[in-house]
Amino acid sequence: MEVKFNNVYYVYNEKTPLSKMVLGNINTIFKEEKITGIIGKSGSGKTTLIQLINALIIPTKGNVVVGKRIISKTKKIKDINNLRYQIGLVFQMPEEQFFCQTVKEEIEFGMKYFKKSVKNIEKHISDALLMVELNDSYLNRNPFTLSSGEMRKVAIASVLAFNPKIIILDEPTIGLDNKSKNNLIKIIKLLKNRYKKTVIIVSNDTDFLLQVVDHVILLDKGRIIYEGNKYDVFKQDLEKYKIKRPKIIEFEQLVLQKKNIKIGYRDDINDLMKDVYRYVK
Amino acid sequence: MINIKNLEFKYHNKLIFNNITLNFEKGKITSLIGPNGCGKSTLVKILVGLYRYNGSIIIDEIPLLKDNIKEIRKKLGVVFTNPDNQFVAETVMDDIAFTLENMNYPKITIRKKIEEITKYLGIYDILEYNPHDLNSNQKQLVNLASALVHEPKILILDEALTMLDPYDKERIMIILKELNEKGLTIINISHDIEDTLISDKIYVMNDGKIILEGTKEEVYKEENILHSLGFDLPFMVELSNRLKFYDLIDNTVYDMEELVDILWK
Repeated sequence: MEVKFNNVYYVYNEKTPLSKMVLGNINTIFKEEKITGIIGKSGSGKTTLIQLINALIIPTKGNVVVGKRIISKTKKIKDINNLRYQIGLVFQMPEEQFFCQTVKEEIEFGMKYFKKSVKNIEKHISDALLMVELNDSYLNRNPFTLSSGEMRKVAIASVLAFNPKIIILDEPTIGLDNKSKNNLIKIIKLLKNRYKKTVIIVSNDTDFLLQVVDHVILLDKGRIIYEGNKYDVFKQDLEKYKIKRPKIIEFEQLVLQKKNIKIGYRDDINDLMKDVYRYVK
Repeated sequence: MINIKNLEFKYHNKLIFNNITLNFEKGKITSLIGPNGCGKSTLVKILVGLYRYNGSIIIDEIPLLKDNIKEIRKKLGVVFTNPDNQFVAETVMDDIAFTLENMNYPKITIRKKIEEITKYLGIYDILEYNPHDLNSNQKQLVNLASALVHEPKILILDEALTMLDPYDKERIMIILKELNEKGLTIINISHDIEDTLISDKIYVMNDGKIILEGTKEEVYKEENILHSLGFDLPFMVELSNRLKFYDLIDNTVYDMEELVDILWK
């Protein structure tokens, strides 16, 4: 399912003295079966942008098209729950998302809330847990007693369980250890390749993004500054926008700047090594 | 500075620490790393006097006992993982002032100290904000300011760096190094091995046990053990190792520009 932004503006506290434009002139498409990363320093409008996708907020001007549904000020969406059923949003701090006593209740909530008659609810829960590499032994545990990596996984599983077409992850790597981060990379790649999801990731962890995304959007002061293929965006001067480049790209850019040698763009340290070896030898 | 000897600790009848010994040396940056859930945060809670324990813990020559906790806390600045759990006031200003007020500093000194530390950390322009309106990055910087404002001898960071945006993280790591050079003892608890690059000594913990200890060079050498605990090496170490394997460089290089210059002389 595709998400399209048509000339979207969003103003907080419109028509009050506190009015503030947080997004302006946003035109972009999040394509089906593609993974897009949204980067930008705090306050650049990243979170506002993803809230517009599941109609938590409505554009002040312009519209957002999710599949066939149009989110705009002029037309009220009749079946907002049906829209949200297609969109799985995993918040930044999963512990802020939990409210049930057990992992099982937490995961089945989404399915029950959307009143979908899901057959074999238990199986859906187990499958969702397996996708994030947890097992049934977690079912009766209290989500608040889990470690931060496990909490993140449960939050993702509770979204995967109702099988949305679009998955949005807000700062998914904050607070995760190496191993959990590598697991997350695997899970996200599966979401695209095996489950054909549209994935949108808000994160400034560009090392992580380089490994999973296809496209990148850089936001600053509510505007899209760069948009396109990840290498094209990551090789730009991102420091100006208070973003760290992925270390691999930083290395490649340094070689280009200092030595005028183009070693090409890589996601992976192994591939980078082959290039370096070739150019140094 | 902090000497932990034969520490034993049980939580809900589960043995978390069984006879561990750790030393955090004066004037040094020591990192303690381990996977999520290995007992790192529990150790911090013990150090700030939130849990009772068996064994001996001495902090700046004072035994960590119930009667000494007030005195010990004056020596400590602590930043916890979740920035939200630490706020007490309506504005950033009042929040940072809280520690100083408890220590009976005069109002004028409080104002001056807060200005100094917030300018230093680059958050002076948000002093009048409500901490709950800030993003997680700014919140963590406010907590760092609160932890440093009373000029503690020891700074304990419990996953505090991991919660920062990569851009601010690099900035803060430079500031920490600066403070350390002025004498601040830093204990950096983390599950991200990149955060250990500024440390003089590293402890690696798993399941409540110390698996490795040594300088960063010594610890980074134990690649297999680190991998088995789910750690990759820091990027520059990994890159250096591979370049060494191909005989392109002789030693680990931590600075990227320097590495480029060595490779293409």
